[in-house]
Amino acid sequence: MLSIIIKDLRTILSDKHAVAIIIIMPLILMTILSFALKSSFSDGDYFDEGVKIAVVKLYDGEEDSRMFDETLRNGIFSKNMGEETITELGDSSRDVDPEKIFFEEFLGSDEVSKIISYQVEDEKTAMELLDKKEVSAVVTLPEKFVYDMKVNLVTPFRNNVDIKVEVHPDKSIEGVVVKSVMESYSSAIASVIIGKNVIIEEAMANGVGELKNLDIVMEELTNVLEHMDIEIKDVVVEERKSITSADYYAAAMMSMFILFSAGHGGRMLLEEKENKTYGRMIMAGTSKFSILSGKFVVVLLLCSIQITIMIIYSHFALKVQWGSIVNTAIISAAAAFAVAGLGAFIASATFRAGNFKLANTFESAIIQGMALLGGSFFPVDVMPKAIQNLSFLSLNGLALKSYIKVMTGYGLNDVIKNVAALGLIGIVFLILSVAILSGKEEHYVKHNKVKTVKA
Amino acid sequence: MLKVENLYKNFGKVNAVDGVSFEVKKGDVFGLLGPNGAGKSTTISMISTLLAPSSGEILYDGKSIFDNQKSVRQRLGVVPQEIALYPTLSGYENLRFWGSIYGLKGDELKKRIDEVSDIIELNGRLKDRVDKYSGGMKRRLNIGAALLHMPEMLIMDEPTVGIDPQSRNHILDTVLKLNNQGITIIYTSHYMEEVEYLCNKVCIMDEGKIIASGSQDELVEMIREKTQINVRLNRVDAMISERLKEIKGVSDARISDDTVVLHGENADTLLADIALKVSENGMFIKSIDVKKPNLEAVFLHLTGKALRD
Repeated sequence: MLSIIIKDLRTILSDKHAVAIIIIMPLILMTILSFALKSSFSDGDYFDEGVKIAVVKLYDGEEDSRMFDETLRNGIFSKNMGEETITELGDSSRDVDPEKIFFEEFLGSDEVSKIISYQVEDEKTAMELLDKKEVSAVVTLPEKFVYDMKVNLVTPFRNNVDIKVEVHPDKSIEGVVVKSVMESYSSAIASVIIGKNVIIEEAMANGVGELKNLDIVMEELTNVLEHMDIEIKDVVVEERKSITSADYYAAAMMSMFILFSAGHGGRMLLEEKENKTYGRMIMAGTSKFSILSGKFVVVLLLCSIQITIMIIYSHFALKVQWGSIVNTAIISAAAAFAVAGLGAFIASATFRAGNFKLANTFESAIIQGMALLGGSFFPVDVMPKAIQNLSFLSLNGLALKSYIKVMTGYGLNDVIKNVAALGLIGIVFLILSVAILSGKEEHYVKHNKVKTVKA
Repeated sequence: MLKVENLYKNFGKVNAVDGVSFEVKKGDVFGLLGPNGAGKSTTISMISTLLAPSSGEILYDGKSIFDNQKSVRQRLGVVPQEIALYPTLSGYENLRFWGSIYGLKGDELKKRIDEVSDIIELNGRLKDRVDKYSGGMKRRLNIGAALLHMPEMLIMDEPTVGIDPQSRNHILDTVLKLNNQGITIIYTSHYMEEVEYLCNKVCIMDEGKIIASGSQDELVEMIREKTQINVRLNRVDAMISERLKEIKGVSDARISDDTVVLHGENADTLLADIALKVSENGMFIKSIDVKKPNLEAVFLHLTGKALRD
């Protein structure tokens, strides 16, 4: 089989047209697109829409406020307070709105809203959105959130407020961002609570009995919240690098153009038949499955050559940082395997059909369709939802997503599903190609023309 | 060496090969002669193990070739009718590939490529791509690819189709050279003169059947046709045909324009007597044309149609 592989590789590489399409063309296109669309890929713009989260409210705001007022009048922290003080505290506490603090002053702040966009949902809907990856995380505000926050912010007491963050396993980077933001919120609130407690306790210890300076305390509280410093940028910079146009189109063109290897490999079996070399090999004792295996391995090698050349070129000429070499190599091996399986499938089907229609359609239409769906022309995120939903159909899309993730700093665990899917695609196509070729064939000889007919 | 017994091959309702039997002995140059569509290539494909027969048996050294495909394929060299080569590879790369397909490698492969390129006389052009070759060169390389593994028997299916006379002569001489080296040849053609030139045994096929077989002499003898001698004279009259009929061995003489058409046996001995008779009658010969019976005539006799119909 080695001689078949060497021969097939020489045959393809001796075809200048094929070499131009599978190696030269993607290098040219990735260079042009990298420069032409440079302005479309500023730092972090790849995630322009930010991290989407769903916020679940398990509390009843009005009930919590009513309960707080009642507790203020009857509860333990109204001891030693005069009626006037309690009323004053109650009035002032109404100005403290934990919901407003969380949603408007925190999530709505310029700092956070650049990174996170949120939608309020019920618990069930939020979890469904998380399953569908329509949100990266679900933030759950617990029961009695408003009550507990008011206690924390207005009284000298402190109740535990446990804000839960659930992250989709495929969105671990986004998860880190959301958790970091929520930790910033918690620590900011904690620092405010400590400051407020000092003021209240001092006032009570001095036997004032009346919180004459409560307005000042509340004003201080608002100031602290407004100037809450959330260090999200550091988290992002550490975990994820932004994508440039060169990064994107190097991976996009590579993922697309390896498909042309499948097209070329797909033609080879029928070309052997038409050149009569297929029959000659059979007469020499070579099995048709050895011949098919040769095509599979040749496409695999061809893809590997393409990928190697494109990675080296893009790295040195376009300054593309591919991320972890090992992870990139694993994705590349899986992508090449999938394309080789596809190539073998096209080869068998084309051979059986006895014409090049399938291979031609694949090269002229299917590759373009897969390129569009897979994001080789434009990032899938900017496409209509319907196209985004169909992107799973594209082999190149799986490869591209994986390369981009590794480029932005994701680990192997984050791309392993895509890698497994590529491997599975390769295996399925390989099995199909063997099944198609397994049928019996006969060579119908008529008027000195040998035609192969399916039995 | 090779025995074909009652071989049939049907493609649907078409009987491409219809009860063919023949035997090829070691050292033979065995010709399968017939027009296009006679069933020659189908028969060859079955002998080459590329195609299974509908019924019948093919024995190689007494054993069924279909039970011993691997061993038989190693002992056969097949030159297909079409150029079965890789046009974008060089002649050398083609030979190296086909040699490796038959299990040759290393020095042995290089040695055989050298030997074969001598036989097909392509030494100087082996580095060129095959698509730069002339038709004759491609044909020669096509033959060379079948010789690398030193087959005992070479099956050649119309190896001279579409090439110039010089290349054809070269190929025919190569076939005789290979036969002299001990290789048994099965040669199919619809060119009667090629089969006459090469083959010691001939099977004539038409419409899937063998209509005649034997040595060339046996086939000609079969139709019992005699040599025709056309004698063109300066003038003719009725007397001259009668005088020429008197020659021993002449069976028939008739006048056609300025020519007397004779039929007889052993034309070589008749020519002197004919010249003498013409001279005795005060005439002289402007030209003589001798037509010996050939395989074309045999085919015409048996089928009522010309070989190239």
